[in-house]
Amino acid sequence: MKRILHHPAPSTTGRQYWRSLGELSDTPDFREWLEREFPAGAAEMSGDEVSRRNFLKLMGASMALAGFGLTSCRKPEMHLVPFTKSAEWVIPGKFLYYATAMPRRQGAMPLIATTVDGRPIKIEGNPLHPDSNGATDAFAQASLLDLYDPSRSQRFIRENKVSDNATFEKYIADLRPKMAANGGAGLAFLVEETWSPTRERLRAELLKQFPRMCWCVFEPLLSEAQHFSTQISFGDSTRLIPQFDKADVVVALDSDFLNCGEGDLTAVRGFTQRRRVREAKDSMNRLYVIENRFSLTGAMADHRLRFPASQIPAITHALATKIAAATKDPGLSSVLITLKAPTRIEKFDARWLEEMAKDLMARPGASLVVAGSHQPVVVQLMAFGINAALKNLGTTLLLRELPKTPRNSSILQLASEIDAGRIQQLFILGGDPVYSAPRTITLDRKTKQALDWPELQKRVPDVVRLGHYEDATSGLSKWHVPAAHYLETWSDGLTPSGAYVAIQPMILPLFGGLSDLDLMSMVLGRPKVEGPELVQETFRATAPPGDFETAWNKFLHDGSAGHIQPKNREPKFNGNTAGGVAHTLWSTDVAPPTKDSPEIVLVSSYSVDDGRYINNGWLQEMPDPITKLTWDNAAMMSPAYAKHLGVKDGDLIEVTVTEPTPKPPPSKPGQAPPPLPPPHALMKRQLVIAAVIVPGHADNSVTIPLGYGRKHTGPVGEEAGFDAYLLRTTSNPHFIVADGKAIGSVMVKKTAGHYALSTTQEHFSIEGRGLVREATLERYRADEEFVTKIAGDEELPHRLPTLYTHPNLSAPQQWGMTVDLNTCTGCSACVIACQAENNIPIVGKLQVAHGRAMHWIRIDRYFASAKPFDQDHGQWPENPEIVHEPVMCQHCENAPCETVCPVNATIHSEAGLNVMVYNRCIGTRYCANNCPFKVRRFNFFDYSQRPVGKTKIAGFSVYQEYLGPLTDKTPAETIKLQKNPNVTVRMRGVMEKCTYCVQRIEEAQIAAHVRAGASDKTLIPRDSFTTACAQACPAEAIVFGDIKDPETRVSKIKAENRNYRLLEYLNVKTRTSYLARIRNPNPRMPDAEEIGVASPEHEKGKAVLNPMEKT
Amino acid sequence: MANFFPRWTNWLPLKMMICGVVLVCAICGATWYYDTPKYTRVGYQPVQPVPFPHDVHVTQLGMDCRYCHGYVEVAAHSNIPDTQVCMNCHTQVQKENPKLEPVRSSWTTGQPVPWVQIHRTPDYVYYNHAAHVNRGISCYTCHGEINHMPVVYHAKPHSMAWCLECHRAPENFLRPEDQITNLDWKPDDVQPAGFVAKYGQPAGVKDDWSQKKHLTQTEIGLTLKQRWDIKPPTNCQGCHR
Repeated sequence: MKRILHHPAPSTTGRQYWRSLGELSDTPDFREWLEREFPAGAAEMSGDEVSRRNFLKLMGASMALAGFGLTSCRKPEMHLVPFTKSAEWVIPGKFLYYATAMPRRQGAMPLIATTVDGRPIKIEGNPLHPDSNGATDAFAQASLLDLYDPSRSQRFIRENKVSDNATFEKYIADLRPKMAANGGAGLAFLVEETWSPTRERLRAELLKQFPRMCWCVFEPLLSEAQHFSTQISFGDSTRLIPQFDKADVVVALDSDFLNCGEGDLTAVRGFTQRRRVREAKDSMNRLYVIENRFSLTGAMADHRLRFPASQIPAITHALATKIAAATKDPGLSSVLITLKAPTRIEKFDARWLEEMAKDLMARPGASLVVAGSHQPVVVQLMAFGINAALKNLGTTLLLRELPKTPRNSSILQLASEIDAGRIQQLFILGGDPVYSAPRTITLDRKTKQALDWPELQKRVPDVVRLGHYEDATSGLSKWHVPAAHYLETWSDGLTPSGAYVAIQPMILPLFGGLSDLDLMSMVLGRPKVEGPELVQETFRATAPPGDFETAWNKFLHDGSAGHIQPKNREPKFNGNTAGGVAHTLWSTDVAPPTKDSPEIVLVSSYSVDDGRYINNGWLQEMPDPITKLTWDNAAMMSPAYAKHLGVKDGDLIEVTVTEPTPKPPPSKPGQAPPPLPPPHALMKRQLVIAAVIVPGHADNSVTIPLGYGRKHTGPVGEEAGFDAYLLRTTSNPHFIVADGKAIGSVMVKKTAGHYALSTTQEHFSIEGRGLVREATLERYRADEEFVTKIAGDEELPHRLPTLYTHPNLSAPQQWGMTVDLNTCTGCSACVIACQAENNIPIVGKLQVAHGRAMHWIRIDRYFASAKPFDQDHGQWPENPEIVHEPVMCQHCENAPCETVCPVNATIHSEAGLNVMVYNRCIGTRYCANNCPFKVRRFNFFDYSQRPVGKTKIAGFSVYQEYLGPLTDKTPAETIKLQKNPNVTVRMRGVMEKCTYCVQRIEEAQIAAHVRAGASDKTLIPRDSFTTACAQACPAEAIVFGDIKDPETRVSKIKAENRNYRLLEYLNVKTRTSYLARIRNPNPRMPDAEEIGVASPEHEKGKAVLNPMEKT
Repeated sequence: MANFFPRWTNWLPLKMMICGVVLVCAICGATWYYDTPKYTRVGYQPVQPVPFPHDVHVTQLGMDCRYCHGYVEVAAHSNIPDTQVCMNCHTQVQKENPKLEPVRSSWTTGQPVPWVQIHRTPDYVYYNHAAHVNRGISCYTCHGEINHMPVVYHAKPHSMAWCLECHRAPENFLRPEDQITNLDWKPDDVQPAGFVAKYGQPAGVKDDWSQKKHLTQTEIGLTLKQRWDIKPPTNCQGCHR
């Protein structure tokens, strides 16, 4: 029992002592100060029960007691607390798996959530559904951490004062008559895209009650151009589904279709399926990419042209013209005939385009041209036309029918409605429009001044905001309502391919949040529902076959409704309509960007998407696949352009975008010309941002990932990076270039100052070593054994003996892994999956800069080019290719780490695992020093138990990790709930590394033994489980299994001739092996000689015994 | 010059050294003996909210372990029974017993009974009950004569060395699969003829064990070990992950 001591009440008579005038007069300020005990912000815990003060109190008490009765010699008394009534299906400590889905802007992603004791601890893809096929991406993996984020919104707030649910319900009930006035003309909804049929159904019901209400869908990164172009070319309620698995030749025009963050895993799977070559006779697809910055897609390209994003329309026109001329396709021609050929176009090798067009045309019906979703409508239309001309419609490009829904308003329409004063009640469901809405969203009716969203939102009297965080939008809303996470709510969704999936909750809302469906049903005046009734009603309407209860249970079990099959429509490209639209939108006079007037390209971030994951520590610390930057975004630019600006990595640049100087209106004769507005009235947008140099970036082009620089979120996301939304306007969602119409000038210049960036890989040259092995398909066909002939890793003539005692590898099953470099896109889903599975902490920006990131998998990103380059002396490759290589513990059979451990904390198991025993480790770090792959990670601080990163103490920014015991122990209770109970949470001073998910191996082993019972059938069934990284990989690049059994997937892959091991010459005998990368260049292309050059062939007869001696 | 130090001080360093050695030995010895689970854990018998008599329930009434600890065969944890399980009988039997008050109040209030944990493995040890009880290891092996305990106490040390005793030589502890929850089982209970007919003999044994009068624990264990392919992990990852 905790006793609360009450001090005797102070006497009010007699002599009193006072310390300040404030105390004497007993002012409220003083009372507050007194009650707070500490000045504002000093060592106050964020809502945790155990404060440091309490902790010290308890510690003091227990020390005192220890002196008396030695009671503390006994271990503390702990309790076993069973249920009172047993809960269905729950077996303490056993995992349960439920199907659910994650709503994304492109469609829901079908998932399986692993729960233990009622808390979800891991997300996997749903193997029963082809839209996931068991795989996930980094965002889905990391969304789990968002669920437990203690800085998620937890309170109802009314006009900046804490309120509660009941008051809110009353408020909505009172508001309903007002909303109904005038048919709901004053009511507006601004919602995120979730593709939920139930939400659509509730919307239809809302429309019945409020027929004139405005329904606006806003997603900063959901391209309206692509949607619009599809509708006008192919008809309403349709979506194009590219079939990458059927395409032999793919051309990506500024399209990052391999970015699975877009939520489309089928594209990644389809594409990588065609890159899997098992033997030399296998065929492979070919990928051409034209883009300004290196994207994941560009890194996979066989031929890549770096080209300004603003010039994509021009080059698409050139390509379309070539194809139209050759195919004489009427559809494409009718588009092109309306377009004036661009006069000014960035220079490029005409042969490059010529040969690419020929390659496309050589495979009619088996090629595919995809345009980046944010490219303008004209580009989309031309891309459709090209596909139509190449007979790809219906073969590699399917047209999927979507359910018919009423038209959505855009945020621009909503803005002008608000400006006109028509909107009285605004419901903002999700998103953060104050942060992410386009700037200059509308012009004020009266003053003709540009208006931004915040001013507009302030004009609406009743704004209700449902949000995950108390952010900028909440601050300007009358009501802030905490939103529930998707793992806390009942809902449903459509996948990118149009399948109907269920979203079921894993846990009750941790912080009392509401879902968008709850809120809409509240607005409808319906009683609150706790269960799945709303979704059930939608499901019932789909007329499931048979008994409803059975069908519903099957729906929840499988995660998707099998009886609703998405329908395809015969795609007919409407060239005439498209041509008409294209004609009105076509502008030919956009000059190519120059040194003095570059283009600015705004793209989604691989780490935080549009900013929604900014408070997610896993994603913040996940190195960007291309720049390897953590915790920040930065302006990417080519080495040449950086040289021109005179900047190095981390130097600050200032980006200035101004609107054009208005031309004086033609003055009427006899009148004085009207005065021009003064120069300062011109809209000028500025952003100061750190620069980062990325080889392979187009010159005179600067790419800035969106989503960073968010001011009002939790402690993880605040002050991370720079806010590129400041530059984004309605007319320039993707690239900003001085076109004389919307943009007058774009200026980038170096400014004083340096910003510390934390990257995980600063060196990117392979230095001629055989770590990454790559060849062209041609070379592979000519010499199937090429992997053994890579320069820098000349094979030793005979097998080396080893001095070390070899472990007895006697277990019946031996574990091993392969990583296929040919299909790995570098998307980093495995990195986050591993982090979630293995309780890997985040370490903060400073520690990453010190090289102390804890990820068990790192993805090495190498640049390679035909011309030699010397990064150390500032010689950068101009037009390089990228190879990604995931490196985790290689589980060497002759492991160098094991021999140097003084306490036997790392040893070998009979199954071939290099085992790490945390409770033995004393932290000498000899093993890490001796590891040739540098995959061991050391807990320099108590990352799992104490906060990391900056905090303000007495006005100073201090890195908390250095305060050690002065900080509050125990992370938030909710974060602890995420931890995998089968993996030890490591403490300070302990080494750790990839374990091949030993907990999963043991789990499978124990299950096999339990099944065996009184028999000797103790083998784990073949390929019945896999590691977290392999399970998450959307490209199936990582394969894990028993290498002793020749029939397992991994054994078959290891038998392929592309298989090689890292640093073979060290004779460490790694268990993880790699499959060499094959590129498939078109031999007729002008740059064919520069492709697949990462690993040159070594010269015969020049084998050196020790490659280190090579100079 | 006078002697500053009297004569007896000549022996002082030696005496001090001897004392020091004795002291260090004593400290080492005491730690060796007292600071091991053999001393710190064995015999631990905390006061439980309800002094649940295993002897009455198991030995007198003949209840099987798995009536209450139902998940022991499928899960890593052997669960403590829910209040519901107690109330299955105690709504009929011993309805008024004052000792059962915590159980009854738990049933009415919904607040669980806070049983005091006795057997506890450290956080970095991943013990799995299902893997043991399905493969010939009895409850008795680790928990002792629970069926004769009026109130449960810690009977075995549960130290790592103790675990390894069995993991290195499981034949000393294995028993037939139907005797796992029979805590009074003795190797002598085994009928050699029936046993050999069912499980055979280990390869390489020449004499016919079915003719023997009694089988020893080692003989039974060796038979089962080979028959069931029992290979307990002696490697770290078996228990530490």
